[in-house]
Amino acid sequence: MSRDFDRRLTALAEAVQVADGRLDREAVERAQAVTEKAGARLGLDMETTVVALAGPTGVGKSLLFNTLSGTDFATVGRRRPTTSEGQAAVWGEGGDSLLDWLDVGRRHHVADGALTGLLLLDLPDFDSVETAHRLEVDRVVELADLVVWVVEPQKYADASLHERYLRPLRTHGAAMAVVLNQADLLSQDDVAEWRNDVSRLLARDGLPDMPVLVLSARTGEGLDSLRRLLADRVAARTAAVARLDADVRAAATTLSERFGEGRPAGIQRADRERLVAAFEEAGGVPRVIRAVDEAHRHRGALATGWPFIRWLRRLKPDPLRRLRLPDRAQEGAPQPGRTSLPPPTEVQHAQVATASRGLADGAAGDLAAPWPTLVRNAATKNEERVADRLDRAVGGADLRVTRPRWWTVAGLLQRLLAAAAVVGALWLVVLGILSWLRVDDVIPTPEPGSVPVPTLLLVGGVLAGILLAFLARVANGIGARRRSGKAARSLRRKVEEAAQELVIDPVEQELEAHERLRRLLAEAGART
Amino acid sequence: MIPAMRPELSEAVGRLRDELSAVRLELEVPGAADARRTRNDLVAQADDYLLPRLSQMDAPVLMVVGGSTGAGKSTLVNSLVGSVVSPAGVLRPTTRAPVLVCHPDDLRWFDGDRILPHVPRETGGAAAPGTLRLVTHEALPAGLALLDAPDIDSVLAENRALANQLLTAADGWLFVTTALRYADAVPWEFLRAARDRGTAMSVVLNRVPADAEREVTSHMSEMMREQNLDADLLVVPEVALEDELIPREALAPVRRWLDGLAADAQARAELIRRTLTGALASLPARAGTVERAVADQLAAAAELRAEVDLAYAAARREVEDALRSGSLLRGEVLARWHDVVGTGDVMRALQSRIGTARDRLKSIITGKPGADEELRVAVEHRLEAVLRAAGERAAERVARAWQERVAGRALLEATPGLDRAGDRLRADTQEQVRAWQAFVMELVRREGEAKRTSARLASLGVNGAGLTVMLGVFASTGGLTGLELVVAGGTSALGQKVLEAIFGDQAVRELAAEARRELIDRADGILRADSARFDALIEGAATEAEGFARLHGAIDAVRRAS
Repeated sequence: MSRDFDRRLTALAEAVQVADGRLDREAVERAQAVTEKAGARLGLDMETTVVALAGPTGVGKSLLFNTLSGTDFATVGRRRPTTSEGQAAVWGEGGDSLLDWLDVGRRHHVADGALTGLLLLDLPDFDSVETAHRLEVDRVVELADLVVWVVEPQKYADASLHERYLRPLRTHGAAMAVVLNQADLLSQDDVAEWRNDVSRLLARDGLPDMPVLVLSARTGEGLDSLRRLLADRVAARTAAVARLDADVRAAATTLSERFGEGRPAGIQRADRERLVAAFEEAGGVPRVIRAVDEAHRHRGALATGWPFIRWLRRLKPDPLRRLRLPDRAQEGAPQPGRTSLPPPTEVQHAQVATASRGLADGAAGDLAAPWPTLVRNAATKNEERVADRLDRAVGGADLRVTRPRWWTVAGLLQRLLAAAAVVGALWLVVLGILSWLRVDDVIPTPEPGSVPVPTLLLVGGVLAGILLAFLARVANGIGARRRSGKAARSLRRKVEEAAQELVIDPVEQELEAHERLRRLLAEAGART
Repeated sequence: MIPAMRPELSEAVGRLRDELSAVRLELEVPGAADARRTRNDLVAQADDYLLPRLSQMDAPVLMVVGGSTGAGKSTLVNSLVGSVVSPAGVLRPTTRAPVLVCHPDDLRWFDGDRILPHVPRETGGAAAPGTLRLVTHEALPAGLALLDAPDIDSVLAENRALANQLLTAADGWLFVTTALRYADAVPWEFLRAARDRGTAMSVVLNRVPADAEREVTSHMSEMMREQNLDADLLVVPEVALEDELIPREALAPVRRWLDGLAADAQARAELIRRTLTGALASLPARAGTVERAVADQLAAAAELRAEVDLAYAAARREVEDALRSGSLLRGEVLARWHDVVGTGDVMRALQSRIGTARDRLKSIITGKPGADEELRVAVEHRLEAVLRAAGERAAERVARAWQERVAGRALLEATPGLDRAGDRLRADTQEQVRAWQAFVMELVRREGEAKRTSARLASLGVNGAGLTVMLGVFASTGGLTGLELVVAGGTSALGQKVLEAIFGDQAVRELAAEARRELIDRADGILRADSARFDALIEGAATEAEGFARLHGAIDAVRRAS
């Protein structure tokens, strides 16, 4: 029992932590009060059992208190309400710390073997015109280990007892008992009928198993049964724990009513993809991919293009440099400054927001309030950070833009071919000048085959250069596509990380909190 | 004979009753529950007592015997009549169906729905709980009826409600309490309410033990004095019952009181008049508390409404900013735009024209949308994303703000899904964007006809011109940055040049301005429709200012008439 109770109490305390800020504030505060009260009570004298006599005015609580304690400490009277301040009788020594905690000023010590360890409280009424009495009763009923409700034939069916106390305490059947006092006013048959009616009302309150004792404090009839009940509870020394256990379970049940039904569906694949796509768009990923493609073509053209026109290319800026994106990035290397990518537009923000909310709604599944809202709030709480985080993700991505080795060869070849063409051209020019000067055949012109060498050099060099440039361009097109594909994959990984960090992780944490709270509440003994 | 009251009084009370029952007090502001209860009490009092009594002043006096459970109400009634007409017993609560005892000659006054129109009648032996059992008995003098009401404080909530209703309908109360109960809180609440309503009342202190008579009686008188309660205190000692009835001598004080009333028509008239005057006099004050509650509701409703307005105004600004900044133009829309009109880049334009022709052919063969249709879809998607995000954020903001207020919290809990944009937002947006596009096309066509430039318009096509105007809506305010400006400027420059050639520079600007105005109006309409969900909730819960004014007028009318 005690170990189970410890576990439940711990679970409730943890549940309070998790539920704070998530579930209804009032229910959480009540549960917290229960854990605090349990802590306080467990730290005090557990050898003593606190029993409170509570009931409407005029049912004979004070007389019962006097009779049980064998004293005349409590004032008994006709004028209603009689008792305005609680008082305590302690059987045996001790109980002082408890009395301080209970804040009861009037204390008496009684020596009685059988009931040693009993701390009996006589409470004021809760139904008279004196509202202060009711507040005092509310306070002490909350703290007592066992509450004995005393009623009499006129007052046993009052709403003030059943609706304000018994029904809300229907989980506390183990920590309460009902005494039907002044049975001497009724005939035998009426007493039996009365008792049945009380049991019926108690069952209606949700307390079918509560002990019901019939007695008369005036004649002393039936008092032994009450003494026996008290002696049993005092001897067992479990009343305090039983009471606190009922409190813990009730608090857990209240929390679990606020917890709501339903199961989360978890994050849906399609939602996650939509989110990543929105993130990519917002981060300018398509743009970067295009830049990678263009940069490769641009650099390829510079390296392998036809030398006579490729200088024109230099007039255009390098697409990647313009965005201030590095070709390669080391994992974990310090981030360079901001990229020159434009920040996400309102539309892109809106698309990210819509995708985040869609993901949250899908993940919440058929959870009842307040969870859909909580999950949503988790999904959108980092909205402000999206732009900056995306820029870092994109700027930090390894675009894996490499320079192919064949570019050097092709470049060299282009240069050779260009040189050949230039040589051919110069040769022809020299030949032309010589022929204009009518000094032919000073320099012999080799003619392997039928074409003269300078013509071959010029035409061949130009044609081969253009052909090579064309082939290189085709190859660079293929390379650009491959590289942009790689860059896309690498960017996607980075953007996924950002989406994970900003949206998916918070959502998953919220779902975990849900699951954890569900488990804790079940462990704390919530009845569902 | 009792003088009839003025007819305008009856009319004023009837009007007040209608206005009271019409006001809505559903916002959970502090005191709303009390105000609802007061309102219901007032309506019930008007139906059950004031209106019937005002119309028939000569009906018999109805004395309601009320009090706590176990106080001996039924036994007292039985003893006064001299036979068991209402069952008594040890089990609480005993009386579940109230019993009305009257002289046979008076039955006609009670068996119709003159008083208590909403309580079913029963004349047979056993009555179902909640019905009024009518019993005639010769022992009771004519002109006086006794009603044994259920208890006011037992566990049966329906008993309590019925008791309250019956006490409201009474010409006078015979309030029964006991030596054990006389200091209970619940009966005193009723006694105070009766005092405030001006109900004529006698208090029976029942079951007083002989040894406690002096102490208890003097304490009770003291309490009545303290509470300003002007009523007879009739003391019945605790005695053994004879055949379930209180012996004659013990009952003497009550019997004397009853006989005095029965013998004296003047006294009865006085009693009726006193209670009626008291009830009428208390009416404005009690209706005034309802009026104040209505005012509180109005204030709370205004606060809630202000939150809605604030959140949706922010959403409207968000949308407008997005429309103005040109951000709608970026990305996909721009790409689609290239497809439709081509770019400044000759090669690209060529490719694009070929592409467009190919697309057209494809769209004819496959039925897939052409490039301009795709552009429209792209614009639509963008607008929808902006509007939806704005709507969602606004709803969340309202929900958060409402959560901070008790009244708002109750509304949120009662209506799940309030913290997100309404279901209709999406469909509305699609519809409105389409309508806007049609509007722009129509605008361009009209403008074109007016200028008699259809030949040149044909070179661009109404669709192309319309799309150019649409993009002009987003682009002409500028706000584009860096490269975007170059690209967008270049692209729309071409289209815009053609347009300007067709319509003239000023006209194009006007076209774009008008199209933007129209779009913002439509976006406004969509958000308004979304925020209307909140307004409808508030409206359903709280009375509007008009109802408040009418209630105020009705209260004034009663005050003037009485």
